[in-house]
Amino acid sequence: MAKKILFILFVITTILLSQDEIDYGLNIPNTPFTIGGYLDMSYDEKREAPVLFDDIALLFFGRFDSFELLGEVEVSNVSLEGKSNRSSDIDLNLERLQLLYAINDTDKIQIGRFNSDIGFWNQTPIAMLQETTSNPHLSQYMYPKATTGMIYFKRLSDTDSMSITMQNNSDIGQEDESIIADMHMAFSYHLDYEFFSWVFNSGLYQEHHLETKSYYTGMAVKYEEDTFMIQAEFFTQQSNEIKDRPYSMYVQTLWRLDEKQDIVIRVESYKDNVLDIKEENCLLGYLYRPWHNVVIKSEYIYHSNASLSRVVSSISVLF
Amino acid sequence: MKISLVIFLLLQLLNAREIVIIADKNFPKTHLSEKEIKAFFLDKVHFVNGKRVLVMNRKYGEPVRMCFEKLMLHKNKSALERYWRKAYYQGKRPPKVVESTQMLFAYLKNITPSIGYTDKVELLSHKVKVLYRAECL
Repeated sequence: MAKKILFILFVITTILLSQDEIDYGLNIPNTPFTIGGYLDMSYDEKREAPVLFDDIALLFFGRFDSFELLGEVEVSNVSLEGKSNRSSDIDLNLERLQLLYAINDTDKIQIGRFNSDIGFWNQTPIAMLQETTSNPHLSQYMYPKATTGMIYFKRLSDTDSMSITMQNNSDIGQEDESIIADMHMAFSYHLDYEFFSWVFNSGLYQEHHLETKSYYTGMAVKYEEDTFMIQAEFFTQQSNEIKDRPYSMYVQTLWRLDEKQDIVIRVESYKDNVLDIKEENCLLGYLYRPWHNVVIKSEYIYHSNASLSRVVSSISVLF
Repeated sequence: MKISLVIFLLLQLLNAREIVIIADKNFPKTHLSEKEIKAFFLDKVHFVNGKRVLVMNRKYGEPVRMCFEKLMLHKNKSALERYWRKAYYQGKRPPKVVESTQMLFAYLKNITPSIGYTDKVELLSHKVKVLYRAECL
């Protein structure tokens, strides 16, 4: 029954919400609030449950004068039997709950739980907005994906900006496979031109339940034009214990065949002394966008650890 | 041959569409640069003199909007779709879409600060500030 409901929900959302516009979400009449969301369903031949709804998420936004509210609540890893994270209970996870105050056009302060201002991948870490279904190692193991605290943004000029992140309290989100921090201090510097942009990041964090403090430093560069994009990120992490993560990096290129189809290649390499692995992988993927708010992806990952070589596919909808 | 070319060029000039980026008559600036206009319409900048600006777009598919997006935002349809998908997730919102030129001028008359754009020929006697002019061929 749950299987049927999920499929019907997915199909209806896909068809009904594929409007030919750049606007998403539904504005609640006579209020400053908008609600929307996204769905991701993936197939991974090596996973225990090959087909999963990775995310079923609700987004809500509100704008009032100098304040902006954004929330993201999701149910993750829902199997076709309707189980979430292998439990029959549906686990709701608060991905983001952030309140931004614009002091003026160049200075902004944000509090709450938000995606850490790190690199490019972490700015839009959902399948719908990424070129591949699988994530690179660094997005999970090199820095805290989310921060529960405060961030100060400063626009320095038309092209460059910076941010300072401060967290010295527990994370309010649900624990998952990413790094959950009890403390996170970070600095980020962005440079954006018409086609080229880069980000420098450096930070210190303390992982939940651990005494270990880890430092990370990294850089991300991107060149994007109408038919081609290349993006690369490199991060290194050290801690006050012996085990660290000397490097994790990827280079990803994308060719746009036409308005609806892309080809993507990603090469990745990482050394992780915490997980005791040193691996490389290469990915070849294909994307098809039947409508502007739907993407279907399929990729083959050739892994240096042969047991991890596999085909991964997904369909995602943004509404 | 030369005469045909001259006639062709003249016809092109006559057909040239001039768009104007306009603001309400009390808008605190008399001119915006191309970068500033782009920043307002991509929801990267929101305020002028501490007040949130109402930014207005035209209906999808209207020639004046296609011209504006190409000339001022330097983005084609798929580039804009890519931009707004990510921007939406990050909490950015696209400009308000006005259904008609009359509606655009009604908002400009009643809300300050507000900006939008229109074809120059539609300006007529409306009391607005022209912040920028651009020509589409």
